[in-house]
Amino acid sequence: MNRIPSNPDATDAARREARLEHDMELLVGYILLAGVLVSIAFLVIGLIWQYALTGSLHLNYLIAGMNYFDFLIHDLGSLFHPAGWDPRVFIDLGIASLLFTPYIRVVSSMVFFAVEERNWKYTAFTAFVGAVLTYSLFLR
Amino acid sequence: MSITSPGILFVVSIVAGFIGAMSGMGGGIVLIPALTLFGVGIKHAIAISIVSVIATSSGAASAYVRDGVTNLKIGMFLEMFTILGAIVGATVTLASSDQPLFIAFGAVLLLSWGTLFVRKVKHEDYLRPADPITHWLELRGGYYDHAEGRQIDYEGRRGWLGGPCMFGAGFIAGLLGIGAGALKVLILDLAMGLPPKVSTTTSNLIIGVTALAGTSIYIAAGYVDPGLAAPVIIGVVAGAFIGTRLLKRLSNHSIRQFFLVVLLLLGVEMILRGLGVFGHGI
Repeated sequence: MNRIPSNPDATDAARREARLEHDMELLVGYILLAGVLVSIAFLVIGLIWQYALTGSLHLNYLIAGMNYFDFLIHDLGSLFHPAGWDPRVFIDLGIASLLFTPYIRVVSSMVFFAVEERNWKYTAFTAFVGAVLTYSLFLR
Repeated sequence: MSITSPGILFVVSIVAGFIGAMSGMGGGIVLIPALTLFGVGIKHAIAISIVSVIATSSGAASAYVRDGVTNLKIGMFLEMFTILGAIVGATVTLASSDQPLFIAFGAVLLLSWGTLFVRKVKHEDYLRPADPITHWLELRGGYYDHAEGRQIDYEGRRGWLGGPCMFGAGFIAGLLGIGAGALKVLILDLAMGLPPKVSTTTSNLIIGVTALAGTSIYIAAGYVDPGLAAPVIIGVVAGAFIGTRLLKRLSNHSIRQFFLVVLLLLGVEMILRGLGVFGHGI
């Protein structure tokens, strides 16, 4: 908080810029933190459950032939059917939420640049990054 | 790929994350040689490692970003280049045979090792006016340095050079499944003239998105085995967490030097394996 210039000579525009920058740092910082914690939580639950069920951490399966969005939708779907829950659903969700973390960070930065800062240059830059990531995650 | 016990991978990953943090080189650079020693194929090791890089980078970046040292604009500008590099790099790895990957990995490990000893250029004047392109790109910022007790404002330089160089750093990251942080810091420091703390923290932010771009290629090709990735991700994150906490308390650098020797040996070992010195059973 102490980084926001309280210097009386600072112009309103400079203060506004510093405040926006600080808001964005909090937004990006908490998105990254939340994403990693959620992901690790899912993975730990999945592995502990697997160990409790089978006495081993071994899960042997691949996610070939699915792109990331198929993968995510498939697993989010399974989450709403508790009867079908198994360790795999949690492991998949852990990996999916991990991949989603930087993606959400880029998309929300783009929205922030567009709506709050009205900085079209950086809206375009982050939109490009978001578009390339979306395309690559749709690959199969 | 041989069946390796996830329990062993978990322990190996804790150690890799720990050494990666203690040496300042990142988890992947230790993880991949270690996984291959335990019988995981190098392409699978690269794919698993790059997923774990997303976790370690995002975890560290979350703290650095909230501290206000990371420069988000510089990071997001350079990500445009690193993600393209990572996609190309990962595609090359999929098409390559195993031997060149071992040699490239060993070479990059040794080069990154070398950069730790490069005397850092000390830029005293961080506010020197930028060239028009860099100025237009808004590659500037400031942060409050708690150690020095003062505000440090800076203006980046040569954004037109930093961008294309970052394509190369992204290429290495996607090719070998590592963060390539040493290379990114070097570009931010030497090409763009940023203060050291801004270079290291901004590099960390870029690494996560770059690793995601590479990961998407490995997932689509079916190289990410979730059953192996899960214990590795948890292990690397836990190891890095312990290593970072311990590093803050250690004033003695002999432990760090010990790990640097371990890394040197790993680099040489990877090159020798790539050259087939140990026979064909890589």
